[in-house]
Amino acid sequence: MIEIRGLGKSFPGRRGNPGVKALEGVNLTVRDDEFLTVLGPSGCGKTTLLRCLAGLVSWDEGEILLDRRPVTGPGPERAMVFQSIALMPWASVLRNVTFGLELRGVNGSDCRSRAQELIELVGLSGFESSMPFELSGGMQQRVGLARALAVEPAVLLMDEPFGALDEQTRRLLQEELLQIWETRRTTVVFITHSMDEAVLLGDRVVLMSARPGKIEDVVEVPMPRPRSAHIDTVEGSAEFREITSQLWVRLREWQVDIGRRGRAAAAGSR
Amino acid sequence: MSSAASPQPIAMGNGRPRAGRSLVARILDSKAFLRLLTLAVIAAIWQVYAVMVGGLLIPTFDGTVFAFVELLLDGKFWRAVWVSNQAMLIGFAITVILGIPIGLFMGRYRPAEAFTDVYINILLVTPMAALIPLIIMAIGFGLNARVLLVILFAIPMVIVNSRAGVRQVDPTLIEMAQSFGATERSIWWRILLPGSMPAVMTGIRIGLSRSLTAMVVIELLLIAVGLGGLIINFRGAFQPESLYAVVIFVVFEALLLIMVARWLERRLVPWGREGVLATD
Repeated sequence: MIEIRGLGKSFPGRRGNPGVKALEGVNLTVRDDEFLTVLGPSGCGKTTLLRCLAGLVSWDEGEILLDRRPVTGPGPERAMVFQSIALMPWASVLRNVTFGLELRGVNGSDCRSRAQELIELVGLSGFESSMPFELSGGMQQRVGLARALAVEPAVLLMDEPFGALDEQTRRLLQEELLQIWETRRTTVVFITHSMDEAVLLGDRVVLMSARPGKIEDVVEVPMPRPRSAHIDTVEGSAEFREITSQLWVRLREWQVDIGRRGRAAAAGSR
Repeated sequence: MSSAASPQPIAMGNGRPRAGRSLVARILDSKAFLRLLTLAVIAAIWQVYAVMVGGLLIPTFDGTVFAFVELLLDGKFWRAVWVSNQAMLIGFAITVILGIPIGLFMGRYRPAEAFTDVYINILLVTPMAALIPLIIMAIGFGLNARVLLVILFAIPMVIVNSRAGVRQVDPTLIEMAQSFGATERSIWWRILLPGSMPAVMTGIRIGLSRSLTAMVVIELLLIAVGLGGLIINFRGAFQPESLYAVVIFVVFEALLLIMVARWLERRLVPWGREGVLATD
């Protein structure tokens, strides 16, 4: 279980510019084996929140507890999947997948067989010795996913992993991610700016607003699991439509509101 | 994109022969043939010019070829080659051993850079030949002076490219490694070193050609030994054929070294792009 309490973080301004409050008073509990999606406009601090969870950056206020222990840095129970994929261009698919294992001292045949298993799981058998630049974006992100899953994390942190992919590839990978998660359950925190993606994948959707980045609402997605076998029916269902349109109403309100506030501020300073 | 419809694989490069053409056509089309042809044209123009305009200081092409062969058979010549290259090899080795770590370190740690940046810039902008008198006054005419000049010529290129190599490593790769719990040490070994290899290799290649320049320049200007010494002697003795032959040898050596460096680069960093920071 992850408990985030009163998390706040600001980035200092440069050369007299005021700093940006990236996160303010964020309270959130992530249940074990839950698939939690975080949805918000760009610049709402959702990626910052994830980087805090990963222990990659520090924060100013509040605390993050992972199974009641405070998070102070990266840890072996967490693994991350990056939007930019972050594969090592000089290493083969196999070597990229074994990266995390090697860092944790797993080596030799043990490491190889574990990686092999994951490569099969993400459907890349036969590509073990391929280099990243020989793969399509979708295949590259499968490698990224395999690399994260290889260390058997209790918490999988995904930062808009399918954001850079084309529509067809994204749908395919969403389906496969669901399949994988349905068979080997872990806690997933999944950042996205797509409402459909948030609802399709998540047990709950965390809605964030920008400036300062804070949590506005947490929406339950009561649609049945497993969903991977019939994504189209899920997305076509009245329930799905209902939830996404609710989310849209909220998001739209803030966007308009932000616009209005921005205009008011501009008028006030004139 | 009319060629996209073609079911045949598109041949790489222009010189690749297509099946079913005559041998003559294939030879006429090949790269090696074109190169030889250019060379022949240059040789012909040279020969005609030397014979018709001529003069004491312009040798004929065939005379130069003979002189070249003679040179290659002469033990004294190879001693001169050794004397020159000794300075270059030692200087280049020191350049690589010192330059790469300095550059890498500067790329990663800002304070180190702030401290050394100004000296690197001085080395980059100063015409190195101007330093030769200073070096000789300070450490004399020996091998040391020549080695030092080679280092001063070559090391800025190696440092600057290595520094750029570390800088251009994708920061999300570093973050990725950190997320898996990598220490600074493993980040160096697993991310920064392989990631900066393409630029480091570029630096080595440019540094190598600068080493060769330094080797000849100092011998021509002040310390008349080795190949530069030969050039000066032949000039003094009015032997333009031999003088040209030495120059041609230097050109061949440069080409050979650069080919070796490029070959190494392709073998070691097949994923890298060329010319990350081609300053020179």
